[in-house]
Amino acid sequence: MSGYTRPLQQLSRSDEPSFGGKSANLGELLAADIPVPPGFAISSTAFQEFVADAGLERRISSAVAGVSARDVDAIGRASHAISEAMRFAPVPDAVRAEVEQHYAQIGAAAGVDSPPVAVRSSAVGEDSADATFAGQQETYLWVRGVQHVCDAVRDCWVSLYSPPAISYRARLDQAEEPPTMGVTVQLMVDAEVSGVMFTCNPVSGDPSMVAINASWGLGLAVVGGEVTPDDYLVSKVTGEVVREHVHLKDVEYVPDPSGGGAVRVDVPAERSERACLDQLGLLRLVEVGKRVERHFGSHQDIEWAIARGGGELFVVQARPVTGLAKRRDKPKPQSAMSLIMSTFGAGSKGS
Amino acid sequence: MATTAPKAGAFPSPYEIETPPGCEGWEEMYPYYALFDERRRETDENRFWFWNSMHFPVPMPAFDVICIDSPYQAVGAWQNRVFAVPPAMGIDYRCVNGYIYISGNPVTDPAKIAERAEFFQQRAGYYFQNWPELYGKWRAKMEALIRELGELEVPDLPEYEPDEVAFGENRNTAFYELLNAYGRALRLGDLMWQHHFEFLLLGYGAYGTFAEFCKGQLPDIPDQHVAQMVAGIDVILFRPDAELRRLARLAIETGVDASFAQGRTPQEIDAELAESDAGRSWLAELEKVKDPYFNMATGDGLYHYYRSWLDDPSIPYASLIGHVSALKAGEQIDRPTEEIVRERDRLAEEYAALLDEDSRQSFNDLLNLSRMVFPYVEEHKFYCDYWFLTRWWNKIREFGALLARSGFLEDGEDVFQLSRYEVAGALDELVLTWATGGVPLGPKHWPPIVARRKEILKKLADWTPPPAIGVTPEAVTDPMTIMLWGVTTERVQEWARQQEGGAVLTGAAASPGVVEGEARVVRSVDQIGDVRDGEILVCGSTSPAWAPIFSKITATVTDVGGVMSHAAIVAREYGLPAVVGTGRATAAIRTGQTIRVDGSEGTVTLL
Repeated sequence: MSGYTRPLQQLSRSDEPSFGGKSANLGELLAADIPVPPGFAISSTAFQEFVADAGLERRISSAVAGVSARDVDAIGRASHAISEAMRFAPVPDAVRAEVEQHYAQIGAAAGVDSPPVAVRSSAVGEDSADATFAGQQETYLWVRGVQHVCDAVRDCWVSLYSPPAISYRARLDQAEEPPTMGVTVQLMVDAEVSGVMFTCNPVSGDPSMVAINASWGLGLAVVGGEVTPDDYLVSKVTGEVVREHVHLKDVEYVPDPSGGGAVRVDVPAERSERACLDQLGLLRLVEVGKRVERHFGSHQDIEWAIARGGGELFVVQARPVTGLAKRRDKPKPQSAMSLIMSTFGAGSKGS
Repeated sequence: MATTAPKAGAFPSPYEIETPPGCEGWEEMYPYYALFDERRRETDENRFWFWNSMHFPVPMPAFDVICIDSPYQAVGAWQNRVFAVPPAMGIDYRCVNGYIYISGNPVTDPAKIAERAEFFQQRAGYYFQNWPELYGKWRAKMEALIRELGELEVPDLPEYEPDEVAFGENRNTAFYELLNAYGRALRLGDLMWQHHFEFLLLGYGAYGTFAEFCKGQLPDIPDQHVAQMVAGIDVILFRPDAELRRLARLAIETGVDASFAQGRTPQEIDAELAESDAGRSWLAELEKVKDPYFNMATGDGLYHYYRSWLDDPSIPYASLIGHVSALKAGEQIDRPTEEIVRERDRLAEEYAALLDEDSRQSFNDLLNLSRMVFPYVEEHKFYCDYWFLTRWWNKIREFGALLARSGFLEDGEDVFQLSRYEVAGALDELVLTWATGGVPLGPKHWPPIVARRKEILKKLADWTPPPAIGVTPEAVTDPMTIMLWGVTTERVQEWARQQEGGAVLTGAAASPGVVEGEARVVRSVDQIGDVRDGEILVCGSTSPAWAPIFSKITATVTDVGGVMSHAAIVAREYGLPAVVGTGRATAAIRTGQTIRVDGSEGTVTLL
């Protein structure tokens, strides 16, 4: 098969430039035996092929010429013009053929026709870490059927020209450079509970904590900030739950019973106020979080899901923690005695 | 305490606090210098005073004031005159409605601070370098002091002086001996407080520095873990219970365990044990460890009513009964010291591994220093606060009993309702009338005073003292205030806010920092064009579509969302304070209203 797609388990860190950080990281996780749902990756060349095939280069460059990050109206106009043009352009046949084949393989392995998949953008290049910014990455959940998968892939590409994405690049003075992006297609977990965890406290910067946010249903509600999730801080060193806030989680996303997509539904009262994780669930998350962190050698921001029924835990995404708040009052390394002296206002530089 | 640019208003003036009804005259229980006196209003009113609720949670009985004077004399002497802690002299106290407020005396002159720093570095350095040896001497000193207290006799006043006074070498009469004993008792108390503070500042300082270092590197580390990494294994505080466990085992081995039945009093148990040989030898074994290990206090505090196990054996006997029944049920009751050591070393290693190399070095050095000083930090409580102090109060009770026998008091315990000067006065009159054979006035004078004071103390106990009085400091800089009482700038600001009573919303502290400014309430994404530079965004929640306005605003407040929600992530990215998940910010706040967002504490104050 030619180079537009690759199964996730065949990817490693070195594939990041072609397939984007998300796909490359998932490949790394699979190699490290972290439970990750199976899937495949679409390379950034597929997007370039799409733009070239449809002859969109000129239209794009003229639309974004000279936009300012703070000019909300101009950004909106540019975004609208580009998105409209892209939405009517077809996914190149060669790409489509590969997608079709991989999608069929996922279905065969899972034993279902038209398996539900998540289609997500997978940012490429040095902005990969920055792409955490603003959740500036599209996610389409519970997508079923080849046609819908291809539509979702194209929607991911379109999202490169969403107003926040244009504004973000403008802020970096890169408004006019052509962006690149891969796409990840992954079998979906019908999550009973899902959420995000950081292998440090992102607010305080404490490296000895795992911070966990969890809510009912598919991950959209937490990531989209539509509910105030249950919030836990767990010690990596002892597994103690250092902080626990259970909130009202009155909505959740579930697979649309009509077949494709996820729908927002009300959570019944008796479940909405209940903690969605127990001690055991928290400990399993911390263990997986520590393994992922060890593998990558840095603090990780991990999206996870616990499957309905079996309760199996999956990691669906992992990336380095960015935008970590500056540590307050972090002492500079000094000798123990001079630190004690400063406690008493007798530091070497006076008080 | 630094009180640059005092802010008026947040806390009441000490001169405007009213006496609760029925407590008129409370001032008479306390020394003149302990009161907020009009003659020094100008200075006292312009200082920051906080309630020392840690040591003095209830109104002070008149005699117990000695446990304010003496420790503050001692702590000031070491801090200010021996070690010369550079920015802080000693601590002043004042009494309001029976409650104790304190305020540090800062050193502000930079030249003076530099001069003191030289003393401090030299003298504190000497203590840290020679700690184990000096601390060994300290223990010996404390044991000698406690022995002397035990040997101090409170003489009775005899009808006739014995022959030794008439014919012997020792020609002191009882009047002198009694007054001398009282004076000596007070001086022994002063000595204890002097010893108490010799190591305390430096010990707490080393431990506090380690704890602060941990909090700086690992902001969420539970205090418990810091303590666990440092805690001593074989310190005297654990011995009393260890002895009880040993005695429980002995009771089972010698077949007297049936005496330790649930619900029995210590007297019943002792009486039954005294009937058998095995029981008597168990009691003999108990007698051997009572001193010192039954000198544990039944409570933790500086008031006369905290007694020891010796005074009230119901607590150790309840433990004995529990240990015996646990052992008989086959339970393991020994303190798992090996496991504690393993866990303490594991915690230290794992936390150290999370730090970078330079920080790890400081961490390990501070940890070792803390482990060196910690035996003092743990043990001084046993030697000073429990062993010495419970016996010392009992010594004062002996004077009380004498006054009660002579009719000056209705009950020996009433001695604590008189100040130490009043007790001296009563003793003066007692020995005077004993000597002259005259009729003392004391029996008519003191009992009504005692009765009135008991009534006042009872009423004062219902009064709620404000956490602080006087002016609000810009910043708390006194290292002692921070180290010993945990009274930090943040704490004082929190108190001030509570006093101001402004509406406060709370949510998750999502991005640190404090910002004040005008609110802009935005209910949907199509209103984001209204946001002006410098405003604080108040909204339900945000999504990527809101990205363009984050470069305009100074802080974010949302109704829903956690610390990983979009608004929180972007706020951290931009370094803006954020409080998310407040539940009702868009309902409670109006556009244009001035608010304070504290993204470190998770609070939004409507100003």
